[in-house]
Amino acid sequence: MSMLALAASQSPKVHLTSQTRIIAAVLALAFMALVLELIRRNRLQERFSVVWFVAGLGMLVGAAFPGLLSLVADAMGVRDTNVALFSIVLLFLLGLALNFSVTMSRQATQITRLAQEQALEKAREQANSDENGSEAKRERLES
Amino acid sequence: MRTLVFIPAWNEEDSIAAVIAGVRASIAGADLLVIDDGSADTTAARAREAGALVASLPFNQGLGAALQTGYLHALREGYEACAHLDADGQHPPAEVVRLLDEIYADRADLVIGSRYRDPGKAESDDYKPTISRRIGIGVFRFFLTLATRQRFTDTTSGMRAANRRVMAMFSEQYSPDFAEIESLQLAVREGLRVEEVPVRMLERAGGSSFLTPLRSAFFIFKGLIVLLVGQFRPRHIGASEQ
Repeated sequence: MSMLALAASQSPKVHLTSQTRIIAAVLALAFMALVLELIRRNRLQERFSVVWFVAGLGMLVGAAFPGLLSLVADAMGVRDTNVALFSIVLLFLLGLALNFSVTMSRQATQITRLAQEQALEKAREQANSDENGSEAKRERLES
Repeated sequence: MRTLVFIPAWNEEDSIAAVIAGVRASIAGADLLVIDDGSADTTAARAREAGALVASLPFNQGLGAALQTGYLHALREGYEACAHLDADGQHPPAEVVRLLDEIYADRADLVIGSRYRDPGKAESDDYKPTISRRIGIGVFRFFLTLATRQRFTDTTSGMRAANRRVMAMFSEQYSPDFAEIESLQLAVREGLRVEEVPVRMLERAGGSSFLTPLRSAFFIFKGLIVLLVGQFRPRHIGASEQ
């Protein structure tokens, strides 16, 4: 990353050495392998994996075609490609974090309702057993 | 009218039995439900010994979730009126009867027991708050009154009575974080009749307040955000029962 930053800061065009590109590609592949491994071990559900897979692919594409980045930067009207890269990544992560907060809120509500249902179910059981208990007592008294 | 009185309790083993006995003695004919909010002590066992029905939440969920459990139970079991009071002995059960009377007479949908007889003051004969608490009370009073255009004096009172319209609404939507204040705002926004009744309250029997000045400041800040956001919530009038 620091090499990338250095290379880009020297000129507006992206000059990636093949060494950096190979490192970036290897990192991207390792990341995707990690995602696959997490799914395989049931540590990550498939529905959450898609976005991470796409992120890994994006890294791979960036490594393979460095010219794309300067195209994107031009389209954004940003002179420095680094700024373009960092703002895209930052926005992506921000959106993802917000999405996780939304998911967490929904799950917290669901957990609360689950706990409430379970508590009320137990109370109903208690009410039934109290009723049976008092009925049995009454029967015993009557007989 | 079939009435449910529910008591949210979190680690209140010292006072719960006395509160249950008080409710039994003062509110004749009402069914009783204790909602044990994941207590680590023997609150649930003591409540059962005292003859109350107990709904035990498997882990601590906060006051809002506990109260919602009570409203949910009241709604499902077909109670026509319900009331709740704190488990720490601050709320004399005899005063709850006066709140319920307002519900029975259909003068209000939701009745709040206020410890202030004089709406202009942040203290009363039997309640002398600390300075940070007094600021908090004043701020919430001001902003809740601003938000609802209705005068409230005791915004965080945990002594309330309600009818089925309120049960239907609160069992669907009840903020776990800021239950007392947001529920008032919500009820007024949905067009329900909310009324305050001055009541006598006692000093808390045991334990101290959890609020330090820093916590109070954070509490107030959070409350204001909740109120502000609440003003932009969608209304669904007519969605509730009746």
